[in-house]
Parts: sequence; structure tokens; C-alpha cells
Amino acid sequence: MRRSRRRGDDAQAVLETALVIPILLFLVCNFVAVMVQVTVHQQLNSATALAAQSRFQAPENAVDPAGSQCCGAHGDTLVTAGLPTGCRYAAETFYGTMTTDTGLIHWQTAALCTSGGDSGNGATPPVQPVAYAGSPAHAEVSCDIGSIGKGGIVVPGYADRTLNPPSGLDVVTCSASASLDFANTPLAWGVFWTPTLHAQAEALPPPFRQ
Amino acid sequence: MGGDEEGVVRLRRMPRRRRGQAIVEFVVVLPLFLFCLIGALDAGLWAVQSSAEVSAVEEAAMIASSAGSSPVSETAPDARAVSAAISGRLRSSMFGTTVESWCAVEASGACAPDSTQQCPSTPAEVQAADGPRVVVVCVSEADPPACTTPPPGQPSPYPLGCNDSPLITVRIIGFAASLVPPGFGPGAGGFELPTNISATTHTLRFAP
Repeated sequence: MRRSRRRGDDAQAVLETALVIPILLFLVCNFVAVMVQVTVHQQLNSATALAAQSRFQAPENAVDPAGSQCCGAHGDTLVTAGLPTGCRYAAETFYGTMTTDTGLIHWQTAALCTSGGDSGNGATPPVQPVAYAGSPAHAEVSCDIGSIGKGGIVVPGYADRTLNPPSGLDVVTCSASASLDFANTPLAWGVFWTPTLHAQAEALPPPFRQ
Repeated sequence: MGGDEEGVVRLRRMPRRRRGQAIVEFVVVLPLFLFCLIGALDAGLWAVQSSAEVSAVEEAAMIASSAGSSPVSETAPDARAVSAAISGRLRSSMFGTTVESWCAVEASGACAPDSTQQCPSTPAEVQAADGPRVVVVCVSEADPPACTTPPPGQPSPYPLGCNDSPLITVRIIGFAASLVPPGFGPGAGGFELPTNISATTHTLRFAP
């Protein structure tokens, strides 16, 4: 009788440990995963904000000549010939800043360079931007950028009508979306969710730009 | 206090076999518990430090990309000026870690200018140069090639990208201190958190 009670106690201790350890590790894994998500999201926000700002480091009417190309993730090349130079600057800034955790991130690609978006208001409906002719379609960052084309033709950027209503201001917006995949990391056995991260940044032209 | 004494008395009253079992359980669970606790705390510390570093490189890139000493200048501010601008805020978030400005010294003994500055590419490089638990702020500048007269059949401007403004890279790199005490981690100086965060942007040109 006493031996069976002892054996029961032993089994209970083993069962308790077997239950508690996976729960403890599960909690730690998910805690670490949340920390990673927060950090990557912050870096994505930072890269997108710098990309939007960097459009204004290029002259407003500059267009990339034939043969121009840049950056891209995983050694891909983005051909930027015929696009506003600010578009290439934005891409160079984004890819130069968003350098870490590349194995973890699955990008949602879009057209690199677009124009003509409109936030809309009560009187004007929102308008989706249109990709520039020849813009790479599978970029990790997408920027809505205005420019001055040949013959002085003004190509509109993004009209944000919340700024200076009702006509709005012509601004630059850049956006990027990605999901985090923990499948190839040691956290995989305890993290069962795949967070989607989205970053959008808007930049106003500085008053004394070239 | 009384509870502790009661616990000790209860442990002493246990049969020897059960007492041994409790100690074995405790010895097995304690390292695992400490591993989880320190792991979670280190993950939190890493997140706080990474967050501060990402904000700092963004701010540094903004400062470095602005014009230099004159409104028509095409060169970025000196690397040490950029480092000084962000180091104070960075230090307050880097617990137990020294923040320094990276300086590749020339033959003359002075710091190399931004245009020839070579930033370290791995945290180990920083550790070898400056010791453990040090992160450095490094600013480098990549200038475009000089424009020349295009050869026959080539479009102007030549070569490609010669009209671009310089590209500035701000990097924070090194090993940051962690909560794992020395002797318990893989490194000789204890466990350290590798960090390598950078931001790149073109410099801003103002209209003359």
C-alpha cells in the first residue's frame, strides 16, 4: 500500500514537471518573438521614413538616364532608367537601412515608383496611385512620388488632403509590408503566429530644395 | 520568516527518500527556471537596446544627410559631430555598455575623413579593436564618381551616377552587455548581445 502511494507521488511529480516545462518554454519563446517583432517593425518604420525623406535629396526634375539601376533585396537589381532619380534614392535608402533579419522577413512586393495617389476627403474620393511606366513591379518598398517630366510636364505625387485642406499638399509617401516567419528559427516549435508588419511614411518637401 | 522556519522543519520531518526527491527536483528545475528567466530578461534588454539604436541611427542619418558648414556644401558633417549628437541619448539606453565614436586613424595620427572611413563590418572587429561591451558609432561617406566628358556614343552625364549626392551610412556596431554573468556565457567576458544596425541616405543639397 505504502509503495504504491510513493509511486503515485513520483508519477505526480514527473507529470507536473512535464506539464510546466513546455508551458514555461512556450511563454519564453513567445516573449522573445514579440520582442523580435517590435524591433523589426521599428526598423521597418525607420527605413520607410528615411526612404520618403531621401526623395528630396534628389533634384525635383532629375530623371535617371538609360542604364541606371540599383540595390534590391537578395542581390536583385532594380532598373530605374526613366524614373525620377528620387525614386532610386528612396530605394537605395530603404535597402541600405533595412539590412537585418532578412531570413526572417517575407516581403509583400509592389511597384517601386508610383504617382497620383489622393487621400481624398468629403468632396473628393480617394484615388489609388498608378505605377510609373517601366517601374520595377517587385520592389519591397513602394514610393508615391511626383516629378517634372520632359517639357516641364508636372507629374503629381500623393495629394494629402488632411494637410492644407481642401486642396491638400503634394507629398511623398513610401510604404512597405512584410510578414515575419519564425519557421526557420529555434522559436518555431513554440510560436504559431505569423505577424504582418506594415509601415507607411509621409515626407513634405523642404522649402529650399534644389 | 515563520513560514521559512516552518518549511525547513517540514523538510526535516520528511522521510529521507522524499527529501532527496525534492532536492533532485529543485536541482533539475532551478537551472531551467534561471535559463528562462535570464533569457526573457535578456530578450527585453535586447529589444530596449535595439530600439534605442534604431532611433539613434535614424536621427544620425538625418543629421548626417543635412548640409555641412555652408548651405551649398555637399559634404556631410564630421563623423564625430554626428556621434556626439546621438551618443548621449544612446548611452542612457545601453546599460553597462560603452558607446564610442569609430575612428580609423591615418598615418598622421588623425582620424580619417568620412569619405575614406572604413566602418567595421562585424561586431567581432569592434571587440578586437576596442574590447568587450563596446559599441561604436561609425559614419562613412561614399562619394559619386567625378563627371567627365563622355566618350563618343555615350550619353551625358558620364559616368552613370556622377551627378548623385554622396551616400552617407551611419552604423552602430559591437557587442552590448547582457544580464548573463561572466563565466556563464560562450564568451570569455560573459555573454554579450551582438548588435549591427545601420541607416543609409543621400546628403541633402540646398539650392545655391
